[in-house]
Amino acid sequence: MPFAHPKADPIMTMQSHISPVAVTAYQCVSVAGDDVESLYLSLIANRSCLKPLRLFDIPFETLVGEVTSPLPDIRPGLKAYDSRNARLALKALNQGDFRSTVERAMASHGVGRIGLVLGTSTSGIYDSENAYAHFQSKGVMPTDFQFLKIQTAQATAEFLHLELGLQGPCYSISTACSSSAKALGAAQRLIAADFCDAVLVAGVDSLCRLTLCGFNSLQLVSPEACRPMDAKRRGINIGEGAALLLLERLNSENAARPRLLAVGESSDAHHMSAPHPDGAGAVLAMTLALHLAGRDVSQVDYINLHATASILNDLADAKAVNHLFPNPPPCSGVKGLLGHTLGASGAVEAVVSLLSLERGFVPGTCGFEQSDPQCPCPVTATPLLDQRPRLVLSNAFGFGGNNASVLLEAC
Amino acid sequence: MECMSLLGFSACAPDPELRASLPFPVFDINRDSIPPMLRRRTSQATQMAFSVASAVCVETRRSAAALPAVFASVAGEIQTTDRLCTELVKPEGVISPSAFHNSVQNTAAGYWSIAQQCTQPSSSLAAGCDTFAMALLEAWCQLSCHGGELLLVCYDERWPTYLDTARGERAFACALVLAAEAVDDAIAHIARPHFGAEAFSTLFESLAARMPVLAAIPLLGLTSAGGAAQNIPVSPVVPGWQVRISPLNTIPVPL
Repeated sequence: MPFAHPKADPIMTMQSHISPVAVTAYQCVSVAGDDVESLYLSLIANRSCLKPLRLFDIPFETLVGEVTSPLPDIRPGLKAYDSRNARLALKALNQGDFRSTVERAMASHGVGRIGLVLGTSTSGIYDSENAYAHFQSKGVMPTDFQFLKIQTAQATAEFLHLELGLQGPCYSISTACSSSAKALGAAQRLIAADFCDAVLVAGVDSLCRLTLCGFNSLQLVSPEACRPMDAKRRGINIGEGAALLLLERLNSENAARPRLLAVGESSDAHHMSAPHPDGAGAVLAMTLALHLAGRDVSQVDYINLHATASILNDLADAKAVNHLFPNPPPCSGVKGLLGHTLGASGAVEAVVSLLSLERGFVPGTCGFEQSDPQCPCPVTATPLLDQRPRLVLSNAFGFGGNNASVLLEAC
Repeated sequence: MECMSLLGFSACAPDPELRASLPFPVFDINRDSIPPMLRRRTSQATQMAFSVASAVCVETRRSAAALPAVFASVAGEIQTTDRLCTELVKPEGVISPSAFHNSVQNTAAGYWSIAQQCTQPSSSLAAGCDTFAMALLEAWCQLSCHGGELLLVCYDERWPTYLDTARGERAFACALVLAAEAVDDAIAHIARPHFGAEAFSTLFESLAARMPVLAAIPLLGLTSAGGAAQNIPVSPVVPGWQVRISPLNTIPVPL
């Protein structure tokens, strides 16, 4: 055994399966563009969208996945919630027919039966940083700064809840880079436990000095476009974005929609900022996702790796896949295209996985050229357009050793 | 699932005045509950979370390694985040790598899983004034879907006053061990969370409005005092999220 945890086995203690839910709409704003169509085109082109930072100055060199298209105004009644994070969320909400699909769900289920679970690591801290600059020069916070509505983790969840007029349960999950993958799991449970018939899941994170400078202090930031799983990787690039997914209880009307089967969750119990060296927690999360869905490793057609391009993360990721899958399916990671959207990445990459299921392709790994002999898993460099995956695992692993693996299936 | 069983709880408040005013046993931070390596590195929030989580595991004789955990906090590691934000606006500000990874909302949850060698799922949630209520709801959903038992830890350290002049003054933490369905060693049964209009106790209303995690007071108070089953608010916002509690630790008073 390459690793063993002596204590309780989460798989043995986890009783049952969980009912799948339909994903009836999804949208995504990222550096690749304002909607899922532009994200799809970018995935097919497989060319990095990362560019130098424009939003603020930083004292080191890197590239970022910054959303540079205009962000919408927050309406006057909700101005107290005005943050870059809320604006990114509002922009995603207004793309395509996403908002009208939510409104259709509101009409059919009732506003009290629709929940909202948001995953974020940054919340509105970018705007707080501006408020701190004001505090430093003037000695007081700006009069319009409202801590609960800007900075705390639930701020953007509360904004979306009020923007849409939802009345079901509303909360945020903030477990660093697994936040919005775990939000998908919480949303599925809200439907299974019959608190909700539908849940809007959001993953929203915005660029800010805290995460850029913080990851730089950990010496994890790459000066050039990141190269996930590549032997010559030099670290990560930070991105931002908002991904929204509407989950609904299965019924005859949504029978043709792709499904969220399960989210497997685990803890590494190893280190605050480094993954378990053998990927033990990642193995556990993937195993639980398959167990809860009643699926087998042989049925997985594609694995969207967490693949941040930090060496420790990439190794743990690859070792976990190699440990669990006797014959691994194609594996790839999209952070060379979009950057690491941190708390949003679980939802952003669930959207990438849904595009893979619905449009019939396996995404590539932008930036990957030379395989790392230490990374024992098959990495797909360029998109595979002849593949029709039906079952996809999407991984998200965060600080604190917090792991989530999202299992999605074509109808 | 018909109900959750509350197997035990513990509560912590560093402020002796707050401790004295609460209608159930409340302790100060117990530094022995924090591994020596972490004592100097961890915040008030994480130290309170460790204090209550350790105490409730001892009280209920549960192995911490076996319990999935739901951590809930309005502001998380706000003191660490505040120090980082203050540094970031200085021209020569220095960001410490450990302060950065200790600023995430799941800092307490992460250190807890490491200290206890617990590989079970662990979540960190925030829901503003509804934080305690949504933690109970998340606990209900997990137990209803997967059965078993879990640890719920709800906490907030002091917030810097200039961030919110109306809230965040009284640090508080509580931990509950909950089980699916009615089990033998329960001290109370908690029914399905619902929306209701039962008023918040006037004694504690303003405390909970100023520190949202103190919305746990009615639930812990009734469980501790015993008596007849009651619908009680679990959020300072009324009408809002409520639960029906049936205390089991005292002999019911005959009518």
